[in-house]
Amino acid sequence: MNQAAVQLPLPGFEQASGQWRSDYSRQVAGEKPVRNRSGIEVQPLYSPRDWAGERYLDDLGFPGQYPFTRGIYPSMHRGRTWTQRQLIGLGTPQDYNVRVRRIIDAGATAISLLPCCSGFRGIDCDEVDPVLLGTCGTVVNTTDHMDAALDGVPLGTISTAMNDPSPFTLLAFTLGVARRRGIDWRSITGTSNQSDYISHFIANHQFYRLSLPGSRRVLLDHIEFCRRALPNWNPLSVVGQHMQQAGATPAETMGFTLSSAIQYAQDCIERGMDVDDVLRRFTFFFDISISFFEEIAKFRAGRRIWARIARERLGAKDPACWRFKFHGQTSGVDLTQQQPLNNIARVSVQAMAGILSGLQSMHTDAYDEAIACPSEETARIAVATQNILRDEAQLCAVIDPLGGSYYVERLTDQMEAEIEAVIARIDAAGGMYKAAEVGLVQTMIGESALAFQEQLETGERKIVGVNCYQVEEDPTIPPAERPDPAAMERHVERFKAFKRERSQDAVARALDALARAANSERENVFEKVVEAAEAGVTHGEMVGCLRRELGFGHPLIIA
Amino acid sequence: MAPSPSPIPLAQRLRAGDPRAVARAISLMEEGGSAAAALHAAILPATGRALTIGFTGPPGAGKSTLVDAFVAELRKSGRTVGVVAVDPSSPLSGGAVLGDRIRMGRHTDDPGVFIRSIASRGHLGGLSRSIHHVVDVLDAAGRDAIVIETVGAGQSEVEIVDVAAVRIVVNAPGLGDDVQAIKAGILEIASILVVNKADLPLAPRTVRQLKAMLSLRREGEADVPVLETIASEDRGVAELLAAVDACATLRPEDAAARRRTRIRRLVAEGAAGEMRRRILAWDDAAFLETLARAARGEIDIDTAARAAMEAQAGGVPLPVAVPQKADRRAG
Amino acid sequence: MIHAGTRPLRVLVTKIGLDGHDRGSRIVAAYLRDAGMEVIYTPPWQTIPGVVKLATEEDVDVIGISSLATDHLIVPKMMEALRAAGLGHVGVVVGGIVPEAEQSALAAAGVSRVFGPGAAREEIVECVTALGQKSRAERVDDYSEANP
Repeated sequence: MNQAAVQLPLPGFEQASGQWRSDYSRQVAGEKPVRNRSGIEVQPLYSPRDWAGERYLDDLGFPGQYPFTRGIYPSMHRGRTWTQRQLIGLGTPQDYNVRVRRIIDAGATAISLLPCCSGFRGIDCDEVDPVLLGTCGTVVNTTDHMDAALDGVPLGTISTAMNDPSPFTLLAFTLGVARRRGIDWRSITGTSNQSDYISHFIANHQFYRLSLPGSRRVLLDHIEFCRRALPNWNPLSVVGQHMQQAGATPAETMGFTLSSAIQYAQDCIERGMDVDDVLRRFTFFFDISISFFEEIAKFRAGRRIWARIARERLGAKDPACWRFKFHGQTSGVDLTQQQPLNNIARVSVQAMAGILSGLQSMHTDAYDEAIACPSEETARIAVATQNILRDEAQLCAVIDPLGGSYYVERLTDQMEAEIEAVIARIDAAGGMYKAAEVGLVQTMIGESALAFQEQLETGERKIVGVNCYQVEEDPTIPPAERPDPAAMERHVERFKAFKRERSQDAVARALDALARAANSERENVFEKVVEAAEAGVTHGEMVGCLRRELGFGHPLIIA
Repeated sequence: MAPSPSPIPLAQRLRAGDPRAVARAISLMEEGGSAAAALHAAILPATGRALTIGFTGPPGAGKSTLVDAFVAELRKSGRTVGVVAVDPSSPLSGGAVLGDRIRMGRHTDDPGVFIRSIASRGHLGGLSRSIHHVVDVLDAAGRDAIVIETVGAGQSEVEIVDVAAVRIVVNAPGLGDDVQAIKAGILEIASILVVNKADLPLAPRTVRQLKAMLSLRREGEADVPVLETIASEDRGVAELLAAVDACATLRPEDAAARRRTRIRRLVAEGAAGEMRRRILAWDDAAFLETLARAARGEIDIDTAARAAMEAQAGGVPLPVAVPQKADRRAG
Repeated sequence: MIHAGTRPLRVLVTKIGLDGHDRGSRIVAAYLRDAGMEVIYTPPWQTIPGVVKLATEEDVDVIGISSLATDHLIVPKMMEALRAAGLGHVGVVVGGIVPEAEQSALAAAGVSRVFGPGAAREEIVECVTALGQKSRAERVDDYSEANP
């Protein structure tokens, strides 16, 4: 493991280090190797032998300087802390509005919208068993619904992130609302979360709607449209979260995500878009697991690799394109149903890893998130965790405070090598699109998930309250907040009435235009989605039309 | 629990196409034993009508996806379909994850398609031990076409010749060392060769290689068509069905011969199994002495085997008398 | 003829409703396979009539439904449909996140067991085995009448 060993001129180093090694071995005879989740063996101690900093400028540099290992901005959190972006969504648009306004009143500058699962499936509220509606997100199927959801929300000054997979109907509804309110589209800021169809195809079947080639087409149209009409909107968020949650190791996750970003960038370039114009709007979205140092090394290595990819491989000239902007969400996978209050400790550690990694925005899970939709109180604790870490623990005071740690630097190098190996494997398979299409990525993830599960079962990996330190408890799952069935019924009835009463001609024309665009190389599908939204076409109708024209999405599942 | 209050005989119910009865009958065939044998005998007269089509080929060729698309095409032609999808069992636990359903999603609401997943249970040849019986059940249940998808194990899949009138060997570009993934033995049983995923860049090369291999191995025989499909987009599937139908109508006299061979093979297999079971449980003194002599090397194993078989089989002259109670079944 | 032998238990592992997260159901499928069962595995989003058809054709002994969001809310409707199709003998377990208050509705609908997150492998295998054996014992078998 000493291939990177440094020849040290330090007098007495060899002798002291040898002495320590023998003292150590006496105390922990027969020790088994310790590995992190990515399979890297972790040594009991790191020293200048592992990292001596002679490549400081090449490998680390200063914050805001290539390769950005220490941070993408010169002042990082000391200048501007991360954005606190908590995902919310439940019930009817009116229910959502009550909650989002409370958040804005409390000072939030960024909001999110999580649509109902029926929306993720690409269908409208009148096509679903009503007991399922609004149970894990807000039912938004039309521009009117969005108008109600965003009533009193200052579009144009507040940043909105919507979980809005292809064909991005929620953004289309939002643009319709902006038009009604006379708000200049160019002032609208935010991100199309869940625009990364490859990650959905691989690991999140919930978000997968259109065929793989169809999704590819619509995303490119979407990016093109947004770059033209919405200069402050991030049309693409490349998502590592689903893959890590499905079982990919942190190193695999970063490798897959960067491979996806390469694929999207190359697709844009092939389309004739300007790489510098497009890449500056790329953002990333990751899970932060409780594997503390490994996560920090994952993000530091990811920043460095992305900078290199963007500059060398993709040829972007603008330094803004080299910056690896990411949102982190503390991982729900690490949370347990057993002794749920323990999750507050877990989320704190995850959030610390995220902050020390230099993330740009963060969602901290509520401690009951693994088992329920967070209640107002648990959501407040989640936000408080961020505030405590920032203001009481002063984690923002120093930029990249772990930089220069023998261990963290060595681990960053090792993670970088692991991630590069994953990228090379995906390259060899013909890129991320092909690797996903043939199931290579799914197979790799499946193997890692099973290996992790086996480590839990053998006790090699411990989870407090699950495979060790169990206590006698009544493993209750708290009652879930369910939307008011009467209100939901009225919502569905109003929706049906809306469909009856709208201009059927306009709807038919808009759907026809959408279908034609889907079959024409020259037209922009997303532009037609925006127009259809304004004509009163519903979410389910638009997705349905594109499924007919571009193919239904069937995720590849490897048994 | 008490039996059903007014039980209609399973054979009758399955011949009427009742899906529950068909499913139960297949389970019974998988279980084996005298009840299975009796049921098989009862339905055998009603078999032989269905067109049987086998799909085989290496893993990753896209067999399940192609079967899914092919079944849709069969449905378009107005035929009812039975699908038997064979997956490997784990050699360690004997369990199996039968995942063919994953790629056969489009028929979940169509009563005209009956899909049954079967585990190979360690049976060599990519099929299941009970495959003939299972196919007969679907045949007797009136399915117009029966599609058999085998484990793409690539070893001695010649068995499928007995089960399926039309054998489709599926390959895809870039699997392993080109067409080496297709073993010579499999090539010989093919009625039709398919290169799936024909949009992949290496597809034309795979097609050329297959044609070259065919010209070497099948000289003088009827042409085996080599078709290209993109199953995930339903492309080439209508052409595949046309080729299957052409192949099935080509030599009707083959059907009768195939059926006789099939029955002969089933009898041979059954006889072997029965003999094995009997000899393993036999503790007659004379036989034990034979074993001891074989152990001492005084007689060779083959001689001992023949002696044991003849002793076991002795005294039961052929043909077998029809058991009396068989008459009771009529009506 | 083929020899009589014990036929492995057959279990349908599936998801109904809207959610698509299938990590849990895959792991459970692997557990059951390793315990010697034959697992029919499907993609998520099966419809209730689809599950009935699957369970019928595959002649399963047990159905395992994974519900990580709120899909358990339609499980009672599925139970009704199974009974109507003559599959009342099939044991049904639900795995995933089901709030305590909603578990009783599942029990009342005939679900045998609800497994929470972190349920142990042995516990799952033991329960499914017992249910499968019970299901086989209770199934109405009328094939004997077909014997010649």
